[in-house]
Amino acid sequence: MAIEKTIANRSKKVRPKATPSRIQNDIESSQAIVDGSIVDNDVMHIAETEALTADSLPNTQVSVPLNLWLEEQDAIVARDGKVAVQIAVDEHPEDIVESLSAVDMIVLPFVNHVDGQAYSHAYKLRTRFGFKGEIRAVGDVKFDQLGFLTRVGCNAFELPDTENLQTALRAFNEFSEVYQPSGDHGRSIFSRRRSVH
Amino acid sequence: MYKYDSVDKTIVKERVAQFRDQVTRHLNGELSAADLQPLRLRNGLYMQIHAHMLRVSIPYGLINSAQMRTLAHIARKYDKGYGHFTTRQNIQYNWPELADVPDILDELADVEMHAIQTSGNCIRNISSDQYAGVANDEIVDPRPYCEIIRQWSTLHPEFYWLPRKFKFAVTGATEDRAAVQFHDIGLEVVKNDADEIGFKVYVGGGLGRTPVIGKVIKEFLPREDILSYCDAMLRVYNIHGRRDNKYKARIKILVNSMGIDAYREEVEAEWEFQKDGDLKLHDADFDAMTAFFPQPNYEELASGDDRIAKWRSLDSRFKNWYDNNTVEHKQAGYRIVNISLKEHAIAPGDITDEQMDSVADIAEQYSFGEIRSTHEQNLVLADVREQDLLEVWKALDAQRLATANIGSVNDMICCPGLDFCSLANASSISIAKQINEKFADFEELYDIGEVKLKMSGCMNACGHHHVGHIGILGVDKKGVEWYQLTVGGDASNNAELGSRLGPAIAKDKVGDAVSDILHVYREQRDNDERLLDTFRRIGVEPFKERVYAEAK
Repeated sequence: MAIEKTIANRSKKVRPKATPSRIQNDIESSQAIVDGSIVDNDVMHIAETEALTADSLPNTQVSVPLNLWLEEQDAIVARDGKVAVQIAVDEHPEDIVESLSAVDMIVLPFVNHVDGQAYSHAYKLRTRFGFKGEIRAVGDVKFDQLGFLTRVGCNAFELPDTENLQTALRAFNEFSEVYQPSGDHGRSIFSRRRSVH
Repeated sequence: MYKYDSVDKTIVKERVAQFRDQVTRHLNGELSAADLQPLRLRNGLYMQIHAHMLRVSIPYGLINSAQMRTLAHIARKYDKGYGHFTTRQNIQYNWPELADVPDILDELADVEMHAIQTSGNCIRNISSDQYAGVANDEIVDPRPYCEIIRQWSTLHPEFYWLPRKFKFAVTGATEDRAAVQFHDIGLEVVKNDADEIGFKVYVGGGLGRTPVIGKVIKEFLPREDILSYCDAMLRVYNIHGRRDNKYKARIKILVNSMGIDAYREEVEAEWEFQKDGDLKLHDADFDAMTAFFPQPNYEELASGDDRIAKWRSLDSRFKNWYDNNTVEHKQAGYRIVNISLKEHAIAPGDITDEQMDSVADIAEQYSFGEIRSTHEQNLVLADVREQDLLEVWKALDAQRLATANIGSVNDMICCPGLDFCSLANASSISIAKQINEKFADFEELYDIGEVKLKMSGCMNACGHHHVGHIGILGVDKKGVEWYQLTVGGDASNNAELGSRLGPAIAKDKVGDAVSDILHVYREQRDNDERLLDTFRRIGVEPFKERVYAEAK
């Protein structure tokens, strides 16, 4: 059953590669939104294949699939630039906890934005595992996902190049109040009201 | 009832502005129909067969007269003069224009209403007991807890893109009128031996294609932990729930495949991380919320009223209405009044703008200005003085809202079916009419007594057919509408799924089949047995024999 498979994934030996829930091709947008500003983007997100090794990576800034990171950490740390690791929706942030201090950027690739598992990944990384680096959502990520992705703890976004990033900046100002705590360390409405009275 | 504070107001208004922006971008060609779809669903807006359909949230079924007047105004101004109350205590409009919807939502926000999360794969409206706060058998009023869960679940960033829709129901009474065992999470507010309030927590119940009775995950969860525990339950579901097949995506499938013990273990492990965190509630939070649901200012009255008793003996229509549509109240001298939205030849749950305005007026004059909607698609005036019942009856009767059929076979739950819904395989409303015509004689109806008849136009089961004492499911066979009948379902405490009667029945024979079932019941019943009791005693066979003997 699906659930047994998912839980079994935590053992890295049987973690399947290149599942439909992971990006199928390398992706890179020309610009990104980081901490609310539009910046040029230089990160290429490498898709997972059976043949992928640290040696075969291009000599530029990349993010690597979790499997590659777990297999070839030393080689990846030795490269120039930031250490950026993808956690796909069918993978688990628990797998990276031990090596998290060596990671600069966690990349959450969305194959389809309606699959919301990565929201729980970001939440856990920020709250439970105390990750202070960049959490970047890439792939099928557009204007209308940015608000809640920010709330769960993402601070960087790569939208498809067809999207208007200037317009998308509006997403960060849509709500000035929230009801519940999340990866943004907000407080629950009940504890806020309590402290007012 | 709950009053919005500045935070609630801000969130709802900003939500309207957000949706207005999304609709504008869509109409300008900047947001595709495909990308708009999940966004509009999370604002209650569907695309149906003929037009858009807007579903407005009525949290735990509670509205006041001003809100009801706004609902009437929306029906008049933006729709065709009527609305439809649903099995989740919400109201939906069948004909709004997309470009008008932001204005409709703005008007709703002005009276502290919204359409947030009435659709989409997220946490839906919290449903509850329509007699909350006034029922004789209530242990704890569930409404403050419903409101707490409503706020926590509204625009929850992490649980907004779940594998599938997610429904909560909460009850605080001995008799479960909220069907908590058929919800993704069902909560029974209870007290332990030390008189502390907590919840019995059910998970993984539901109807739809795979009907499942919820399983108990926690016998007693202290009330201060309700949000952190729900958070943990939702997170485990968000991570492990299936997304590869939408028919396998509800939490009931996850709980069944993991087993309740393994699911509980995961939830408890998750809960450990956060049980003493910011989501933990304090007594002050419950006190503040409970203060929004005070006991109304009841008068000290004696039980019973001579004038009403006299009118009951003089006027059989009034007597029938009193006997069928009003219910005992916990406060002496008061009764609960059910308003039937099941008038003959009207689609079950439908109500006109004029009727809504009248209900608002009647509630204002006789019931502290509050109204409840029920999951059985009727309305309730919860606090009517017994001495006012004659006037209330006359006022309702003048609006054709006093059909004395609550709880009878004519008081059926019915989805919109093929007449409106793009998912449906078969018509439901025409079957409702057919059955109504069979039971036009109300004396016969009263002799039959309590029958929960529930009908869905497709296997998604919006009409809850699996838990009808008689259930009817519309199916499509090569372009022809057929109907599958079940007997013996029960949504209350003794939760049961109905037994299948036999092969599907032709459209024009459904009324006859229901009639046959009830004939068998009347021949076989012992004393004051209900249909359900007789079925439990004699089983499905005698019903089956009669229905299919005639079909041959």
